[in-house]
Amino acid sequence: MGAVTFDQVGERSPFQKILGRVLPVVGYVVLIIAALTQIVPFVLTVANSFKCLPAVNAAPAAFLPLPPFGVACKTPEGETLSADATSSGLAFNPAVEGYQQVFQQNLGLWLVNSAIFSVVVMLLRLVLDSLAGYALARIKFPGSRLLFIGMLGTMMIPAIVLLIPRFIILRQLGMVNNYSGIIIPLMVDAFGIFLMKQFFETIPSDIEEAAQVDGANRFVMFFRVILPMATPALTALAIFSFQGMWNNFLDILIVVGGNQNLWNLPLGLSFLRGQSGEALVWNEFLAGSVVTTLPMAILFFMFQRYFVEGSTYSGLAGQ
Amino acid sequence: MRKSVLGVAVLALLLALSVSGLALAQETIQLAGWSSSDAENAALTAAVEAFEAANPSIDVELIFAPEFETFMQTGFASGDYPNVFYVDSFRLQDWASSGVLEPYGDQITDSEDIYEPLRNIFTYEDQLYCAPKDFSTLALVYNTDMFEAAGVEVPTTWEELGAAATALATEDVAGITTGIELPRFLPLLYQNGGSILAEDGSVSLNSPEAIQAVETFVGWYTAGVGRSPADLGAGWAGEAFGQGKAAMTIEGNWIIQYLLDQFPDTNWSVAELPAGPAGQATMAFTVCYGVAAAANNDNLEASIALADFLTGPEGAQLVAAGGFGPMPARASAADAWLTARGEEFAPFVAGGEYARPWSFPPGFGSFIDTFNTGLNEAIAGNMTAAEVIESAAEIAQEAIDDMS
Amino acid sequence: MAQAASVKSVATRISTQADSKFQDAVAGWVFMAPAFLVIFVFLVLPMLAAVFFSLTNWNGIRPLFTGDGSFNAEAFEMVGLENYQRLLIEDGSRQQAFFTALKNTVYFVMGVVPVQTILALGLAVIVNQRWLKGKGFFRTAFYFPSISSSVVISLIFMFLFASNGIINQGIKAIFPSYENVTWLNDATGIIHALLGALGITRNTVGGWATTEVAGIPLWNWLSGPSVTMLMIMILNTWTTIGTMMVIFLSALQNIPGQVYEAATVDGASAGQTFRKITVPLLRPTTFFIITLGLIGTFQVFDQIYVISSGGPADTTLTIAYLVFRSGFDDQRMGLATATAIVLFIIIFIFTLIQRRITGGDKAI
Repeated sequence: MGAVTFDQVGERSPFQKILGRVLPVVGYVVLIIAALTQIVPFVLTVANSFKCLPAVNAAPAAFLPLPPFGVACKTPEGETLSADATSSGLAFNPAVEGYQQVFQQNLGLWLVNSAIFSVVVMLLRLVLDSLAGYALARIKFPGSRLLFIGMLGTMMIPAIVLLIPRFIILRQLGMVNNYSGIIIPLMVDAFGIFLMKQFFETIPSDIEEAAQVDGANRFVMFFRVILPMATPALTALAIFSFQGMWNNFLDILIVVGGNQNLWNLPLGLSFLRGQSGEALVWNEFLAGSVVTTLPMAILFFMFQRYFVEGSTYSGLAGQ
Repeated sequence: MRKSVLGVAVLALLLALSVSGLALAQETIQLAGWSSSDAENAALTAAVEAFEAANPSIDVELIFAPEFETFMQTGFASGDYPNVFYVDSFRLQDWASSGVLEPYGDQITDSEDIYEPLRNIFTYEDQLYCAPKDFSTLALVYNTDMFEAAGVEVPTTWEELGAAATALATEDVAGITTGIELPRFLPLLYQNGGSILAEDGSVSLNSPEAIQAVETFVGWYTAGVGRSPADLGAGWAGEAFGQGKAAMTIEGNWIIQYLLDQFPDTNWSVAELPAGPAGQATMAFTVCYGVAAAANNDNLEASIALADFLTGPEGAQLVAAGGFGPMPARASAADAWLTARGEEFAPFVAGGEYARPWSFPPGFGSFIDTFNTGLNEAIAGNMTAAEVIESAAEIAQEAIDDMS
Repeated sequence: MAQAASVKSVATRISTQADSKFQDAVAGWVFMAPAFLVIFVFLVLPMLAAVFFSLTNWNGIRPLFTGDGSFNAEAFEMVGLENYQRLLIEDGSRQQAFFTALKNTVYFVMGVVPVQTILALGLAVIVNQRWLKGKGFFRTAFYFPSISSSVVISLIFMFLFASNGIINQGIKAIFPSYENVTWLNDATGIIHALLGALGITRNTVGGWATTEVAGIPLWNWLSGPSVTMLMIMILNTWTTIGTMMVIFLSALQNIPGQVYEAATVDGASAGQTFRKITVPLLRPTTFFIITLGLIGTFQVFDQIYVISSGGPADTTLTIAYLVFRSGFDDQRMGLATATAIVLFIIIFIFTLIQRRITGGDKAI
């Protein structure tokens, strides 16, 4: 199952034996260092989201939360506490000021909108992108090459110049300021089609031929035989689609920018950031970032195992 | 019993129908802006509600849009945009020349009460386009503890400013910090009698006064008494100042609440910008309520009524009473603002009398970029002051040729 | 039943070839239809509009439609190829800005694409090992920077690399004599810096250095990315390898274990297996990753918008950022769309070249 496995070699010289022991250790060291560079910034993000404002400025690197927890950032008289009162060295007293402020905004609603956009778009893309990717990979039909190149081409132009023409089209179609304007233009994406096409090309064609002999038509074969084999690619597509929609800003701005009730989290976060201009209220903003990132992180952790376990294809291949 | 329940239900239904019927006959106008602090947003909402109460036939839909300018530009291009919206002074000429604004200057209540520099900012081709919402000016913000420790008086001239910065600078603390960018530099240009454009609209930037102003500004940094916020490890000058890494900075009203909230331990005060050889000057940053052009506005009268309500003498009093960062645009409300915000901020108000606009002719975006790059390059020693001015003047000329 | 179906299908298969071709054509278009419609209406039409605007002097603000919905012909004038001329041919600030952006963008692409591809493949191979414990943790950790929006990530990055930030404080703790580098505001080109360390400067290399090509002296063409650009390159690599690792991982999973077992029986070493089996089998995926990398890096925008706005001294001005700057800041939408079309052509050419090199043409 694994790709390059260091312990599969049959005959082993002493040198190879030592190598077999050392390599995993080196591997772990590399992995842990790499993982640290990816994770430390987020530890700091979470830590700072729990600080009082003066402490964010004075002790940004403090990451050890010490009791008392949930300290108030202002005295009962409304005076802001100084930085030293809530942090010292690498330790700080956690406060929930940032989260309180963030939740005073419409965060719950934006969270729900983000979830709706992401789930609906993800499901539609799973079906429509794979249909199109399969057609491009496996069906010989007139215009397929041109379609593929044209589709690749649409990815090559900076999205920012398409903003105004697309808004005008949406307006003509009456799709501004509602869910359809967000979902319909995004329910297919060239990236996903490309991903699925490249994946389907790696599936040996004899499987399809076998299915065809059994009399399955194209549609039945696609949904019964091909799609179940595509679990790893579909998982990847699901994650990318969900995440792309979760973080989407510009496309959603032009459709529902004027209607706070239809905003998603990135619009809300940008609204928080825009409020203060340069004088960013860091703990509030970072708290918003944590709330935005956390659902995605959990989702990814839950789904990542399907890259491995969901792969039914490897089992089929030997038949 | 049952009957009365039925009766109430029928009544409620009738009431609901009549209310919705009324709603249909209503005019709805959209008011779009960017979001400010929660308190300012709440104050605007309250002002809008007061307007609705006074004009029962008008409904106002308040929109706070993120990435406001991109949002507005998309709307402009399609011809479908809000009835009333914020216009940054910096964008006024671009937007007015593109025909998306309706000039309503002649319908403003008691427009003489609005500070003259602010009226000039929103005047394009001899027409006053819109009434300012509020404004901010640049002033000298200084660390009182450091001034006391070094025994330095608050500077009032360029010479004193240079001397103070030198006296205050130490290994860890800059004498002065400002963003290395045009809006912080421009006061020096004007204080030295320089200008970007002459009365007739031709480019007048390339002058000995302008070069001398660049030399003065750049001189702080090359001498080491001035350090940029980035150099001090801060995102902007206010942060570096708040962290006690600089003794002085040139910033606007927005710094007040920021310092109070985020740096309660720093002791500071405000003074008017030191005068240059040609006298006093500062920059005014302001926003007006623009009204959509008649061709794209079905509710023109109601739109103007709303804009005038929010910016009129009463509206200005509301802005003042809130005591927010920006100041009311009307002289009649200045005292109310100082009472609410604190008398020590009078230097910001004083700037209103001699401030220059942060505003440019259409197509000047790349002029600002070029100038900013030039200032940075001059500090790095890669360009002379004369070259900075020359390259910027060239771009300004190009922009003007382009547009005519 | 199964037999009957099978007989029927054999009958279908021996029907005329033209018939099956027709069926394929129908099936192909039916499969493609929804995707084609959406892409045509929301991507291709706007692209055609952009091509049209690139031939006008539209400023991006003047309404194209009046309130009653009728077209406003006075919003712009047709100017033919003038915008392209000013970008590419005529001496002036537009040409200089374009070629500065082109230079910066090419350095960015050349630096980021190979590094992110190799790192992503390496991580995917390691994370895919049978002996590895805590796979779920590592996969999640490597993917983590890809999760957040680029705006959030950029702000966090700025927070870390501020000149008095955590990174500089850390270096200073280890090397007390270290002078703070202002990572996010340093216009020094790294090739210039390296040459300078060897004593080679503009003044020592000879007269050719001051010769101007497209408004930029030859010496400046060779600057390399600035320190700030290098930081943004690192940021970009850091945030994209997670996504690319996931794609490689799903492709690695798709290689049947039997292939490796057979190789092992034949006595192939790990290195041989990797070179002779893994790499060739990953060819379509590699083509995909590099194409995506090219498209993504040539259009780098978000991080620049948040971190540097093209500065210091225009050393992080990329073509995509120039498009935004001219269209939305400078009110020259005609010029902005022309810039975008030129970028489109550049990316297209690079993609074709890399398709030849990686053998992606066999995959298509």
